[in-house]
Order: sequence, then structure tokens, then C-alpha cells
Amino acid sequence: MSARGLLLMGQCMPCIKQNASKIRIRRMELDKNLNMYFKKDEFYFAHDPQKVCKTGDVVLIRELPERLTRLITHAVEKVVYPLGDITDPITGKKVVVGKYREDIEMANQLFGKSEKAFDYDKAPPRGRLEGTKDFTHGETYIKYHEDGKDQPFGV
Amino acid sequence: MNKLLNIAQAGPRQFVREYAFKSDLKIKWVRPEKISCIKPEKSGDLSKLPPLNADETLPEFRGCKELEGASETVKSMFKLANNPNYLTTHFYRDEMVKEVQRHAQDFGSMEAKLAKMTATIRRYQEHMDVHPRDKIIKVRLKELIDKRKKFLKYLRRWDYPRFEWILEKLDLVYKPPPAHFHWITRKESLQKLTDTYCNQLKEDRMDAYHDELKAQQIPFIEEAIKKMELVRKEQIACEVPVTVTVKQINDAKKELEQLLKLRDEADKAAIRQKNDESYN
Repeated sequence: MSARGLLLMGQCMPCIKQNASKIRIRRMELDKNLNMYFKKDEFYFAHDPQKVCKTGDVVLIRELPERLTRLITHAVEKVVYPLGDITDPITGKKVVVGKYREDIEMANQLFGKSEKAFDYDKAPPRGRLEGTKDFTHGETYIKYHEDGKDQPFGV
Repeated sequence: MNKLLNIAQAGPRQFVREYAFKSDLKIKWVRPEKISCIKPEKSGDLSKLPPLNADETLPEFRGCKELEGASETVKSMFKLANNPNYLTTHFYRDEMVKEVQRHAQDFGSMEAKLAKMTATIRRYQEHMDVHPRDKIIKVRLKELIDKRKKFLKYLRRWDYPRFEWILEKLDLVYKPPPAHFHWITRKESLQKLTDTYCNQLKEDRMDAYHDELKAQQIPFIEEAIKKMELVRKEQIACEVPVTVTVKQINDAKKELEQLLKLRDEADKAAIRQKNDESYN
């Protein structure tokens, strides 16, 4: 390893480690017996002190010249696609599923936009509900013990 | 369990049975009580529907001039509370959709659908509290909750800002499903609890050892400075090559100063905490 500085693209997974993100690299592996491809996941820990990438983001990671700790072997290079905030690479416009945000907005204006409706300009950046209403930043588990304390990630 | 075996074998070696080993640690396991999937704490509804206004008329007859001049009996016939239950459900549903819809004609967007479902779910939950044996509504409610969860999952993937906004607006909690399903068993739970207990024990001991070493730091440096000064003085007096420089001694003194400062700050913080506790 080391000197190659290999770039990999993967998806960020929930991770409790401080200043590191867990990245899943998904490849297809050929099963010669069945002559079929199957998904194969590899997990890497990427150095990310500012926590740039959030759960679900598609990120580029680069191999470090030498490993930082026993686990951390990569560093986060760039967030390519933030989850649920996709920009079309050709036109540079924001997209929601199959439509541009602009088009949706225009339709709303034509129908007479409601005042209570959601507005992208007023929306704060992602992460304000973490730990109160949105628990996707950590891994949930099936609750196995009742210790009187609050277990937010227990389902 | 192997960890415990190792601990047991660390002392004077004795016969330890390797099968059916029963831990003598005082760990008590409490099985979590099963919460029905239709309950609000499981479905993620943080708030309930607002109570129905007793004078609420049917939405179609709101502001009707003939009703204003009508007798009390006629008026009561047009009250929402005196009409079929489903009309109240529709009333709540429309109110909730109005809060989030994009424009007045919007009933099919994701947020409108979620609002519709949420109103119905909360209405059904109220119904289930009163009629716990109504199986038909129970099934419908469960299916609706699952569907809403699925829709929230999609919305999160498609449009994160809108997802967060809708969670806030409808007062919902979204928890992703756990990665693996398994039944809760005594054995597995006790294994997990023992693991956490062992880790905690390790951490505590490390902390205690750390504190012990820290307490030795100041006396050690004080003595080192004294010895260095003595050695330097002797070396100068005996006219042998001087190995202890003034810089070394000064560095040690600086370090001592810093340590003393840190200790004072820690002491002050401890006293402040004690005072706060006594006030409370």
C-alpha cells in the first residue's frame, strides 16, 4: 500500500469514531460457480476531522502515504454527491428525482404557492435535527436491555 | 465468556470448567418490555392531534347564512361531533395537508401524502386506545405506519432539506431500521452486558493508574531539579566537564510551573463544583 495514493469512491456509513468516517466501497464480484456477479462491500476508515461527510453521502477518498492509526488508512478528498441534495453535473441545476427544482418551483408559482409551503432558500444546512428527530447519523440496534436510561438508538 | 475465563486463569491456576461456565458477576439483565408497533412511541409520532372544538361545524357548511339563523337543534345536527366519525378524520386530514401542501390544489406531493397518512395514523391510534380489540383498524394502522416509514425513507434519499422540514412540521421521529434482525435472548444480551462491563472495568483501571502516575509527576520533577542543581554545583566545584546545563534546569522548572498551574485550576474547578452541589 502507501505510495500509490489510490482514489476510491464510496458511500459514507454511520460511524461513532471521532474525526473519522466509515466509507463503504461496493464492488461486484464474479462467482465463477454460478457465473453471476454479487455485491461485495469493503469498509475503509477515512480521516475526516471536520466531519465533512454525513451518512449517505457519496465521497472520494484517497489513500494516505502511511496509515494514521490502526484503522485510518484514507483521507476524505471530496464530497461528490451529498445525500438528497443532488446537482445535475451537465446543467449545474439542483435535481429532485426526475425533475429540476426550478421546474417544481415554477409549477408551484403558477398554481399559486402556499405561504406555509417549503422553501429551499430558507432551509438551513443538513444536520440540525440530529439526535432529536433524525437518528440516521448513528447505527440503530434492537433494544436488548432496560437500564432505566434513555437509549435513543435502541429500536 | 472467554475473557472471563482468562481473568479467572490469571491468578493461581486452578481447574476451570470450559463448558456451561456461569459468570459470578453481579449483572442483572432486564428484558425490555415489548411495545406494540402501533403505539406512538414506536411509530415515531411525538405529538397527538389537537382536541376537537365542540362548536366545529361541518367544513362544507362553514359560514353558511341559513345555519346562523337556524334553531339550536338544526345547528347541532351540522356539528362535526354529531356526525359520523370519518368526517372528523377527513377534517383533521385536510387541516394537516393544508399546513404542508405546495399550493391549494396539491394533494399528491410527497409531503401532502405524508401529512394525510399522519393525520389518519393519529386518528386510528386514538381509536385503538378506546377499542384495543379492533383488529381491522389495527391491521390498517400498522400497514399505514410501515408505508409512511417507507415514504420517509424515499424522501430522505431524494430531498434531504424537505425531509428535515417535514419531520419538524409533522413532529415525527425517523430512526433507520437496524442492520440485522435477531431475537432478543438472555444469553446474547448477557454476553453483550458482560462485554460492556469488562470494557468499563478496563477503562476505570486505566484512569485510576493514570491519576496515580499524574500524582507522582510534581514530586518527581521537584526532586529532579534539586538533583540536577546539586550535580551541576558539584561538577563545577570538582572541575570535571559539566554535563547539566542551565537550560535543562530552567526547562524542568518551567514544566513544574505549568503542572502546578494545572493542578491549581483543577482544584478550583473541584471546589466550585462542590459549592454548586451544596447550593443545589
